[in-house]
Amino acid sequence: MRYSPGMEKLTVDSLRMLAKAQGLELTDAELASLLPLVEAGRSGLAALRDIPPHVEPSSQFRQL
Amino acid sequence: MSDLCWTSMTDLAQMVAARKVSPVEIVQAHLSRIAALDGQIKSYITVTGEAALASAKTAEAAVQSGAELGPLHGVPMGLKDLYCTKGVKTTGGSKILADWMPDEDATVVTRLAAAGAISLGKLNMHEFAYGPEGLNPHYGTPWNPWDAKVHRICGGSSSGSGASVAAGICPGALGSDTGGSIRLPSALCGLTGIKPTYGRVSRAGVLPLAWSMDHVGPMCRSAADCALMLGAMAGYDPRDPTTSVLPVPDYAAALTGQVKGLRIGLLRAFFLDSAGSPQRAAVEAAAKALEGQGATVEAVDLAMVRVAPAASHAVLAPEAYAYHEEWLKTRAAEYGADVRERLRVGAFVTGAEYLKGQRLRSLLKTEVDAALAKLDVLMAPSTAIDAVPVGQTEVRIGSETVPVRASLIRFTRPFNLTGHPAASVPCGFTADGLPMGMQLIGRPFDEATVLRVADAYQRITDWHTRRPPLAA
Repeated sequence: MRYSPGMEKLTVDSLRMLAKAQGLELTDAELASLLPLVEAGRSGLAALRDIPPHVEPSSQFRQL
Repeated sequence: MSDLCWTSMTDLAQMVAARKVSPVEIVQAHLSRIAALDGQIKSYITVTGEAALASAKTAEAAVQSGAELGPLHGVPMGLKDLYCTKGVKTTGGSKILADWMPDEDATVVTRLAAAGAISLGKLNMHEFAYGPEGLNPHYGTPWNPWDAKVHRICGGSSSGSGASVAAGICPGALGSDTGGSIRLPSALCGLTGIKPTYGRVSRAGVLPLAWSMDHVGPMCRSAADCALMLGAMAGYDPRDPTTSVLPVPDYAAALTGQVKGLRIGLLRAFFLDSAGSPQRAAVEAAAKALEGQGATVEAVDLAMVRVAPAASHAVLAPEAYAYHEEWLKTRAAEYGADVRERLRVGAFVTGAEYLKGQRLRSLLKTEVDAALAKLDVLMAPSTAIDAVPVGQTEVRIGSETVPVRASLIRFTRPFNLTGHPAASVPCGFTADGLPMGMQLIGRPFDEATVLRVADAYQRITDWHTRRPPLAA
């Protein structure tokens, strides 16, 4: 998996901390099952680094 | 079984208006068919038979009185069970909302009723629309009517809509599409379905999966029927601020049967090149057929489409998590295992990642718009694979083994990110007799051209008229 500079690989323990911080109490088995899915999403995005700086997000607040 | 159950919505509406058939007869025929077949197919979660018959009697009286009739007067349809229906259970395919009775209808439900359509009930689906297979652990997984012996997926999430229309249990249905959930079951069940442009049809009163990627649309047995339903549903709605004020064209009038001079872009890299060989051959043959009618076809490559899986994850997962956060903390055990896990993943997408997904989305939309500045429609397979047996998680494409889920949504989700209108149209059958679909993608708010090409193709082919073995 590719990561951005400074990104650390997630572990079950670090995922547990992140989950707890959001109020999610997950078992070890649930965390172990989630870990590869979270890692896949994270590394997939980290690999996409070349967005031109002028590109704005497609969701923007507009006063109609 | 009555031929009324295989008559198109367009013909049923004309027959009712001409007093050739009563809405009561039509509804009774469909209710009989539900009773006969749906124990195995499991396409409905709730059948509203009494209400449908009462509406049919009212519709019949209106015909007799010479009242002005709507375009779908007396024509039955089904609603995916995430459309709010006043006083009728709206479960979202979940246990969590098993007994929820909304106190108002979704805008599209109101509009279809105003056009004269009669709801037969609420259709099965992947729980909370979060899955492309169409599985459901709470109400049973719908059975794809194209295989009478093996329980195959219908594609999802609108699996009940796909199964019911394919089996002649209702002539048309509402689906919803966040990553392909109208187009996938349409492809795997041999139907025509269209995901309109984002903002063309109101999402008010529709349970969300991901607000910025959800689309509402019809699934029918022909492009002409989709045109009829879409015309009754589309248009600005003050209850949904993302709907457009652009006028709604007469979609049925756009179905000229002519494609001469239209420019079609055939999506090869990422799409045709990674489809199974039957799907690739079927779409290439369809392109040739349209060329034979006077369209021009050229190969097109969308380089940015490769970011779609990551961008889709970054946007969809946190939006879905945000909607479900409270239930995930208090009622997690009531979700099916696959949906619970998928939803939880969204808790770990950061704000920066979400916005990165939205920025990638801008790039992809710009690229598709640029391609469609020179072309009228784009064309691609709807799926890389056909309907696999329920429970199968991997599939072979050429020499590669790939996950079923990813293979299902690979070709459809880019257009949920970009919001372009996209239809799935039957374009052939595999050697095992399973249907395949091609996608037609149009310019924003140009559903008329997409439907015109689909209809023209259906005038020279008969894929969409075949009946599945389970429903024969």
